[in-house]
Amino acid sequence: MTLSGYEALFFWIFGLAAIFAGLLTVMARNAVHSALFLISSLVSVAALFVLAGAEFIAGVQILVYVGGVMVLFLFVIMLVNVGAEEKGRDEIFNKQKQVTASLIFCFLLVAGVLYAVSKAYPALLANANTTSEALAAQQASRGKSLETGATGTSRITLDTELVGSSLYRYASLPFEIASVLLLVAIIGSVMLARTLKQEVSADDVDPEVLQEEIAANPELEKLESRS
Amino acid sequence: MIMQSVIIPALTFLFQDGSGGFLSWLWEWAIRAWDSAKQPDLSKFLVIGALLFIIGVAGVLTRRNIIVIFMSIELILNAANLNFVAFSRYLQATNSVDAVAGQLFAVFVIVVAAAEAAIGLGIVIALYRNKETIWVDEIDLLKW
Repeated sequence: MTLSGYEALFFWIFGLAAIFAGLLTVMARNAVHSALFLISSLVSVAALFVLAGAEFIAGVQILVYVGGVMVLFLFVIMLVNVGAEEKGRDEIFNKQKQVTASLIFCFLLVAGVLYAVSKAYPALLANANTTSEALAAQQASRGKSLETGATGTSRITLDTELVGSSLYRYASLPFEIASVLLLVAIIGSVMLARTLKQEVSADDVDPEVLQEEIAANPELEKLESRS
Repeated sequence: MIMQSVIIPALTFLFQDGSGGFLSWLWEWAIRAWDSAKQPDLSKFLVIGALLFIIGVAGVLTRRNIIVIFMSIELILNAANLNFVAFSRYLQATNSVDAVAGQLFAVFVIVVAAAEAAIGLGIVIALYRNKETIWVDEIDLLKW
């Protein structure tokens, strides 16, 4: 797999944008800014998915991450809004020693990973008895064989179709399990985020705890007797 | 004295003729890097994935705000997804094993990330209601 021409240009633009926005996510003082930078990082990664030929994953990324998860994040940030952080009174990072130690660890990790990639990729190509150029030529000939789209400038890939069919053919059990996982997540987050009032009216509080809470806040008793 | 012992060897090291000099080595390295950058392949995807992963790890380790820590975890999962998709594309190009598996796995990673975010943010809300803080270094008791 090799990108060339405008694809290479856009690869570098979106790759650098993803990394830069990721850095700003970690360094921004305001959590809302962090969330917005994370959104731009996710969109850039979605563009990289498109360049790697995974249009379906890119669409899912935009819909689920940017449309769902990040909206949830923004809601929670608004709910637990902490003003001191934005006004610059509180330290946003850990204590200096811990930050230094973790940054040294991260630097070692990135050096190790980059070294491994630079050594392993030529070995991978040699192992597959091929070169980057041969792969590019193969990919170009595969691209020529695809049907042309309605605009005449792009070709229709079969990747999305393949993903869809193999999702049901080879991964149907994990697919069903994923739906159970999502159900558990829904129920769990509703359970966790309930207030004491809601718990009392659902008759879901330990009796001893309930007596203490009623002593502190008599209004709860009305809810309790009603249910 | 300094001239002879430091500067002249340094200059010869930098500007030596042929392939020995540091600058010519740097120049050749830059040309090779530019050539490979014009045709990004699997290794470039892996490099970008690795950098995103490291940024996420740094965020998890250094930030105090629990919501930003969650966002850093999302960055880490995204870096993993990028690797899955890049390898899927590479395997497709080499006509080897079933290449869509990487994309399938990326879908499941996204599903698990969504579930994790929902549960985690529910915990954050419950925690904020009880402790009135989102700084992780102040949430140091399992029971209070």
